[in-house]
Amino acid sequence: MKKIPFTRREFLRTGGRGLGMLAFCQYAPLFLTQSALAGAPKAEKDRTILVMVQLAGGNDGLNTLVPFQEPNYHAFRPNLALKEEDVLKVTDSVGLHQSCQPLHQLLGDGKLSIIQNVGYPNPNRSHFRSMEIWETGSDSDRYARTGWLGRFFDNACQGAPDGPVGIHVGNEVPQAFLSDKTHVIHGVGGGGRRQQQAAHDLLQQLTGAGHERGSNNGTFLQHTLMNALATDERVQTMMRRYPASVPYPRTNFAQNLSSISSLIAGGMETRVYFASLGGFDTHSNQATSHANLLRTLSEGLAAFQADLEKRNLDSQVLTMTFSEFGRRPIENDSAGTDHGTAAPLFVMGSQLKGGLYGGAPDFNIERNQDIAFSTDFRQVYGTVIERWLDCDAGPILGRKFDAVDFI
Amino acid sequence: MTTATRTPVRLSPRQAWEPLPPLQWNASAARHLLRRAGWNASPDQVRTALRDGNEATVRKLFLQPSPFPLTEAIKQVDEDRLTYRQRVSDAVDVDDRRRVQREFRQQNTAAFQDYAVKWLDFASRPENAAHEKWVTFLQNIFVVSFDRVRNPSQIFQHHDLLREKGNAPYPELCKAVSRSPAMMQYLDINRSQASAPNENFARELFELFILGEGNYTENDIKEAARAFTGYRYRANGDFYMVNRQHDGGRKTVFGHTGNLTGDGVIDLAFQQPAASVFLPTEMCRFYLSDEIPPPEHLDDLGRAWRRANYSLEFLKLRFFTSRLFYERRYRGNLIKSPMQFHLGLMRDLNLNVPPYPRPILTPYRQMGQNLFNPPNVRGWVGGQVWINSTTLSARRSLVTTLFQEINEDRLNADDQAALRAAREHGPVTLYVTRERLRQMADSDPGVIANRFINYFLATPVTAEYRSVLTEFIQSGPGNRDERLRTAVMALLQSAEYHLC
Repeated sequence: MKKIPFTRREFLRTGGRGLGMLAFCQYAPLFLTQSALAGAPKAEKDRTILVMVQLAGGNDGLNTLVPFQEPNYHAFRPNLALKEEDVLKVTDSVGLHQSCQPLHQLLGDGKLSIIQNVGYPNPNRSHFRSMEIWETGSDSDRYARTGWLGRFFDNACQGAPDGPVGIHVGNEVPQAFLSDKTHVIHGVGGGGRRQQQAAHDLLQQLTGAGHERGSNNGTFLQHTLMNALATDERVQTMMRRYPASVPYPRTNFAQNLSSISSLIAGGMETRVYFASLGGFDTHSNQATSHANLLRTLSEGLAAFQADLEKRNLDSQVLTMTFSEFGRRPIENDSAGTDHGTAAPLFVMGSQLKGGLYGGAPDFNIERNQDIAFSTDFRQVYGTVIERWLDCDAGPILGRKFDAVDFI
Repeated sequence: MTTATRTPVRLSPRQAWEPLPPLQWNASAARHLLRRAGWNASPDQVRTALRDGNEATVRKLFLQPSPFPLTEAIKQVDEDRLTYRQRVSDAVDVDDRRRVQREFRQQNTAAFQDYAVKWLDFASRPENAAHEKWVTFLQNIFVVSFDRVRNPSQIFQHHDLLREKGNAPYPELCKAVSRSPAMMQYLDINRSQASAPNENFARELFELFILGEGNYTENDIKEAARAFTGYRYRANGDFYMVNRQHDGGRKTVFGHTGNLTGDGVIDLAFQQPAASVFLPTEMCRFYLSDEIPPPEHLDDLGRAWRRANYSLEFLKLRFFTSRLFYERRYRGNLIKSPMQFHLGLMRDLNLNVPPYPRPILTPYRQMGQNLFNPPNVRGWVGGQVWINSTTLSARRSLVTTLFQEINEDRLNADDQAALRAAREHGPVTLYVTRERLRQMADSDPGVIANRFINYFLATPVTAEYRSVLTEFIQSGPGNRDERLRTAVMALLQSAEYHLC
């Protein structure tokens, strides 16, 4: 079966139906126009990379980083509170959930920072809206049409239009990637790799085959799609060529991180990756499901870090978790917790200072009240943008936020 | 430089708008109509259309819109609006006042999102498709946006007005729109007063609603703006006139002098020659092609429309039964809007719009059509502007999500509750099941490939496309179910599926 040519030389050699004439039309694929600039600078190999891990549903921060010395924590959660002997101690007053053993280890090695009690003023408790606030980086009473990472692309990623600036694993394009300018955003689908490859090959053939009476719009679509498929092709090839260097857990989440590691190892010019783990909306029978989720998260992250270290890429990569909100201090009647406000977030990488940052939650509250946040999430974003991605945070976040000293 | 061939319009201006000869009313023509007027063309709709004939089909599609009921969440927010001022002034301190304001804003946004999702579900149903798509066409003329208006009730009322008067004479619709609270806010009529007329509405009225650029003078706008002073609306959306803020004096618009009212100005605008071709041209852009038919052709349609007192019912009938609309050069080459793409997928795959906002509103934004929030007063440009690497990637992702099993236990509790509530009114299918795929494909690979192509695509594909698909279904990797799934997904992601 015929394949679309994916290099300039291959392309020009093809006298095949439809393709020959495409070379002379206004919608020439980017890889053609790009390679015309033969001396265009290669993407630097040592740029810093950010991996965002979304914990969808609202992670219960209080049972993730547990304030086991806090009397009100136990008073508010007679069934769900974790006791001192059940946590992995971080300090004399807080410890990690038992499922977080791999993260506890990383913390000990100085490769994990935990920013405590992160949130924003006037919290919104709707999943949709609060996630939107986290992804756009806006104030809770403002609506931004672009995502914070999209604005990073707008500000920092000119001049590299042929490769994807952002790659998300999983099917939904994150709102954080929405930008004003057009960038190549790429999605690596979930599902088995064999079927992914099959789907890609088939689509590539169909795109090459095309339709009768090539209309202007049809040709234009064909070409835009070809560009996307050329990126697909590179991504698939890299995932084959750079398989994981350490064993990963068999969870989807870990496999997705493994894909990201392969792409980084393959030298993709992408600065930002995005992966997601869902199911954190634990309104009922939270204990088991939350323990499982945290295990999936910790084991996945630890395998990813180990893989990067083995490949000598760890100094280039920073991984950060976030969730739309934490959960209410008081447990509900269904052995679960309802939507709350602030929660801790994890930052992982070899270049970190490691340890605990930000103020701890203040439990001096009424029974059904929420915790007030101590660190604004945009302080964390700002720190990452300036100290990790080496970019001015001002135009991205709209104003100055105090840095948090974890990098 | 473009290599696309331009087949010239072979019909004379007069022939162009004659009814399509009955012999040419075949399955392909019926599919063209159903896809362009609505979201898709299912085989049973095509059968019915062929049985009914062209004109009867158009009448059925367009002439009796079902009402879209006001949502419970909007009713609630309207009720709470009555006490809102009181609650703000009752606030004990600044923080408390801000909290009241913030919560009310959030309630408005939530009600808007709920409305958007419910409307998509309503619009996706075959019996509503053409009407509701027509409403979105009118929305793209009479642009307002929720981000600016921030009141879901007014947005609803505006859309409902376009629905209700969607078959009325166009001048009547324009007059009603000048009294629509959402529009009055969006274009500042509600603040326009005799001492300081605001020209915003008058300008857009001429430029974007009735005449088009270059068919009026700056002086016409200045004078017309005076006629729209004193327009106000009450909290419940009712229109009223504040006479002391209305400029009742003499004005000269398009050379006519008199004590013109706003309605009078609209009537004058419709006496201008440009009025008869402006909306038909917009219709061509939206329903027909990026390449607008020649001016002589549009003039001919415009003259007939003017004689029919600018009836929208007449215009739709004439347009969708015309020989020109069914011309070969206009078939299968219009780039789908994100909405056309999404709702077309819902229909083509027999799926339901999920009853909660997250998996819907975000993809719309990613695909470049932030629902009910057009970027500016001109609305969506459409055509090739819809397509770039990001939006195309979002379209492909959307297709993939529709083929992925959804673990409902992993959904957020609110979404689970919304799903349970929706299922009380009937089954809700969120993704393509294996059983559904098997139903579509119980035959030999060549037949299946043909069926998929004919069913899903509006554009004739090459023999090679056909054989690639057949071969894959026959002997691609994976088991048969996997192959079918992959084949349909690839087809829906291919360039051809973005055309209709």
